[in-house]
Order: sequence, then structure tokens, then C-alpha cells
Amino acid sequence: MQLAFQKGSRSRVLGGLLLIMMAIFVVRLFYLQIVMHDDYVAQAMQEQVKPLTIPAKRGLIYAMDGDKPIQLVMNQTVYTLFVDPATVTKPEQVLETIRKIAGGNLRPNLDKLIAKKDTRYQILGTKLTRQQAEMIKKEELKGVGFQEVSQRVYPEGGLAAQTLGFVNAEGKGQYGVEEALHDRLVGTDGLLKSVTDISGVPLTIGSGNINRPAKDGENVVLTIDRNVQAKAERALAEGLKNTGAKEGSVIVMDPQNGHVMAMANLPSYRPAEFTKVTDAAAFNNATVGVPYEAGSVIKTLTVATGLDQRAIRPDSTYVNTDKIKVGDREIGNATKGQTGTITMQKALDYSLNTGMVTIAQRLGDGTINQQARNTMYEYFHDRFGLGEPTGIELLGEARGNVTKSDQPGAAVQYATMSFGQGMNVTMTQVISAFCSAINGGTYYRPTVVAGTLASDKTTFSPTNPDVLRKNVISQEASSQLRSMVHEAREKFHGAKDKAGYEVGGKTGTSQTLKDGRYVDEQTIGSYLGYGAGGDGTPRYVIMVQVSGKDMNLEGGKHAMPVFTDISNWMIDYLKLQPKG
Amino acid sequence: MSYQTSPQYYSSRRRPQTASWNRNQNTVAFVSSVKLGPIAHTVLIALMITVLGLVYLTQATRATGYDYEAERIDSQIAELETKKGDLEVENARLTALENVQDSSVAKAMTPPAATEYAR
Repeated sequence: MQLAFQKGSRSRVLGGLLLIMMAIFVVRLFYLQIVMHDDYVAQAMQEQVKPLTIPAKRGLIYAMDGDKPIQLVMNQTVYTLFVDPATVTKPEQVLETIRKIAGGNLRPNLDKLIAKKDTRYQILGTKLTRQQAEMIKKEELKGVGFQEVSQRVYPEGGLAAQTLGFVNAEGKGQYGVEEALHDRLVGTDGLLKSVTDISGVPLTIGSGNINRPAKDGENVVLTIDRNVQAKAERALAEGLKNTGAKEGSVIVMDPQNGHVMAMANLPSYRPAEFTKVTDAAAFNNATVGVPYEAGSVIKTLTVATGLDQRAIRPDSTYVNTDKIKVGDREIGNATKGQTGTITMQKALDYSLNTGMVTIAQRLGDGTINQQARNTMYEYFHDRFGLGEPTGIELLGEARGNVTKSDQPGAAVQYATMSFGQGMNVTMTQVISAFCSAINGGTYYRPTVVAGTLASDKTTFSPTNPDVLRKNVISQEASSQLRSMVHEAREKFHGAKDKAGYEVGGKTGTSQTLKDGRYVDEQTIGSYLGYGAGGDGTPRYVIMVQVSGKDMNLEGGKHAMPVFTDISNWMIDYLKLQPKG
Repeated sequence: MSYQTSPQYYSSRRRPQTASWNRNQNTVAFVSSVKLGPIAHTVLIALMITVLGLVYLTQATRATGYDYEAERIDSQIAELETKKGDLEVENARLTALENVQDSSVAKAMTPPAATEYAR
């Protein structure tokens, strides 16, 4: 059968019209499905596929508890309570319920906040616990919602606050290791890109789903020992209370690997309450961030230089007249009366400036010439690392300043540097240098990071000690220095130490600059020393510093008692065995 | 014996009349007298497509059902992890030095009177 329309018939016209319409549909469909294919697919994906961020957990921070890591900074999920005032039907019931369950976490003026009907989001409470949130959820209050927030918690309160730092409201680490190691702690957020249903539940249908798991931040184990830290903080607080000093710092270091066992500063704060701090100086870790003229504790390094260069021996002598001339300046001793021919040991015992200037002169041709200055600069700056950041993993480490040996007027400056004036150094620089001088000559980079703990929270990967320089001074010079520093303490303060142990130390009292000149009415007291067991191996080094505005503080009177307190405690804590 | 082919049966193997038949070989094939027309074929194909579509839908729905189950389990895991985290924090707080030092046990402690060292 052959289908044919008569020419000009209505059926033929209708057929033609249908053909045209079909052609239009075909063209339109071609445009939509072929030409615009990618655009519409993209639009559909935008509607159906939702990218969900899987937040990475910030790494935990551990301290040591003897030889076992314990949690010092943790994460906890807390809840922000909010309402949509436009949908709240029973505001009185909402307020009564939340006041009853979470009274302490609520904002003031709740009545006003919930009455703002022209807004859709009002925060009524923050940092609610999971139990509080669950109790409120059970009440099924209309218009009330919760938002999960991860916050840092500090089970040990304010312990090691300046070393830790804190995490601000934007999730960024501030100060301490939180900021210095932020990149390691923060982790990488994951991504879940998937077709979701109307309520946002991800579905596995679709071929373009992405599921990239979050990579949690590293769990960092600090070298800080919580027991030593707590002891250092208690001893320092006690010391400040007894002396009336306003500020103080303590570092306890293991001289055999550069591990910082404690780092305390006062005044301090509680990291969980960082918003309540009124003076931002409390955030600063003075042991790394505040350089100062360390005073006579530096004499230990001058003696180390002289011994290593064989310019002196402990029993070398010089004529002390309580004053010595360098260039056009006359330098005097703080302790007077030990005049005559005396040994270098005695010069160290009585902390005589003239003895240290003599050592500096003997490094040259009897004067502090270029050769003497070069040698001192090489030891102080290049070997002991003074005037350079140590590289400790803490924020805000100061460089300090050690004047180069070829500067004008350097002879006088180097004379004063020999007894700790005329250069700015941080406590961390000084204690690290001293550790290298008494441990046989190995300079370890000071560190607060002992290693990392795997996500199973049991597998500990320790970080190897970082040896920056070997043979800073010879074994022989190191041994002689230890002996001299021990004798310097033994002579006047040995009775305060536990019997049978080798404890050495050196006082330091530094004048401060006021209006460009040194003054005696505002001094900083320092003490630097070590302790060893029966085998003579130094096991700990402690440095203490106390200061206060317009206060005359001395190393021997005000800083040393803190050292003695911690030192005697350390002997027990480390279970050191006595001699014999 | 003579052998005849009928309209319903035909020889399946075109062999010379002289060839002998072997065992286990078909000699005839059944040809149904029922013939399916084009409409029946179309309906059958449509039915097959419908059944396949239903099978696909069933499987797709089942997969989505698993998604909801997985979501529920994920939420449960997250809640349990939160609870575990809370307990860990509580444990750490209870064993913190601040608390331990203030305990009655710690306050009653005294320094050892004498120490002996094992060699």
C-alpha cells in the first residue's frame, strides 16, 4: 500500500506542519542535549552533588611523664547553641530549659536575643558539653539548634603555657609550639563529593563521587617532662614570692641531647582562658624571645674559651688589683678585696671581672687585640652560638647581638663581653652553650620536640638529637671547666646540695640600661648550673633568671635558691646515684 | 524400511540417501506451527525492557538504602568517638598534676628518710 496525500489537501498541509514541528523539536533537542550538554550537566551536578569537607583533627600535644608520653593538649567536641528567632514559638520555654541545663555557658541578654524576630540566627550559648546538648535536644524545642565545634583543652591547666601557646577562634595556632608547628599540627581536610538526597545524606549513586579522607595533624611529643615542668614552675613561683621579683624564667635542659625538660615563665596564663589575658607579654616565652645582658654566668664561657685555647689553666695566676685598664676605660670588680696574685679558679669563685678581662687579654698578645677578639668571636658566636637563633621549635626566637670583632671600640666591648656585658643573648642561647661546654664539647640544637606519636597513640617515633657542632671545646677543657664550676659552687653553697653529688653553678647579676647608661638600682639576677651523679656525667643543666622593674636582684641571693630547690629535686627525680 | 519426510519434519542433515545414520545424531527437528508476528515481538521486547528496568531500579534503590544504613552507622561511630574523646579528656583531667597534688593521698606523703641504691 502506498500512502500519498493529494496535492494541496488539508492532510498534506497538516503533515507538512507536523514535519516542521518535528524538525523544530529535533533542532531544539540537538541544541539542548548536544550543544548545551556540558552546561546542563554542570548545573545538574551543582544541584545534586554537594562537596562536604571532612575536617582534619588537629594533632595532640604530649609531654613526657618520665619515659612515657602523656596528653598535654587535647581536642574536645563542644556545642554552640543557637536559635532561629523567627521559628521559635515558645521563647519562655526555650529560655527556661536552657538556663536550667546550661546556665553557665549562656550569653547575657538572652531575652533580647531570642526576641529578634527579624533575624534567623542568634547564638545563645557556647562551649556546651555533649551531655548538656543531648539534654536540650531531648526537649525537642522548636527553632533550637546546635553546631559542633572542636576546641583545645588543657588537662594540666596552665602548665608550660608559653611553650604550648594556644589556638585562636579561627583555628590558628598562636605563640609557642602551636604556632611554630602549626603546619604539622593542623593536618589536611578531606573531601567528600557525592550526590546527596534532600536532607544532605551522601548517596553512592553517580560516577563522579570523590571520597578523600582527612589527614589528621601529627601528634607531637614534647621533650618537656610534666613533673620537671611542674617543679620548675612551683620553685620559680616560690622564688618570686620570697624575693618580691615580678618576673622570672627557668629552663631545665638535658646536656646530653639538648632536650628542654622544662621551660617556665612568670607571669603566666592558662591557655584555655587566653581571652582573659590583659597583658600580651604573658604570652611571650622570655627564655627564647627576650635577649638580655646575661652578666657573670657568661664567665663560664670565657673560662671555657681560655681553657680550650690553653691561654689559662685552673691554677694559672694573675695579679688582681680590683681594676684593670682597657683602652681609655677602667673596669672594676663587683666583689672587692681579693687582691694580689690569685688563680683563675679564685677569679671564677669570686666572679672577678678582672680575671675574665685577663683571659681575654691572654687570648691575644696581652691586650685585647684583633687576634683576641677574633678568637672570642669565634668561640662566643660561631661555636657557642650566642647572638644567633638556636633553631628551637618555638615562635618568636630572638637573635640577640654579639658585636663583630672588627667594630670600632671593640676592645672595650670585648673586655665587657668577657664578663657578660655588652652583648644581648637569650637564656636558651646561654644554656645551650653551657651544655656544650660541660658535656665534652658537643653542641646540640636545643629542642622541645621529642618525636611523634602515631594515630594509635602508642607507637612513639623519637627524633634523633641534632648535633650542630662537635668539639666546640676539647674534652679536657670541658672536664676542667666542670671542675672549676663545681668548685665555684662548692666553695660557698655546697652545703645546700645533696651530699655525694657533683653540682656546679655560677651566679650572674646584670646591670640594666636606663636612659643609655648602666644602673645599679635595677639589676637582673641569674644562675646557671649543672648536676651530675656519681659517674660525673652531667645529667641536667638549670638556668634561672629573676627580674623586676626598679628592683635590685642578684644572682646569688635571688636566683640561686630557685636553682638549688630544683637541683635537689632533680637528683631524686632522675634517681641519680651518689659517688662512692 | 522406507523413510519419508513429512511437512512437519525434515531431515536436519543433508546427507546423501546412501549415507548411513550414526548413533546420537539428530535426524529431525521440531518446527512449531505457532508463528509470532511483529506485534507480539514488540510486546515481548517491551516487556523485557520493563523487567530489566525494574531490576535496575530495585538494585539502585537497594544501594541507596545501604547509603542510609552507612550514614546511620557513621553517625553512631562519630558519636561513640565523641564520647570516647570526652572520657579521655576527663581521665586526663583527673590524673593531671594539679588534681593529683591536691589529693589527700599526695598530701599525706612524706620524703623518704633514707635511700639505698641497688648496684
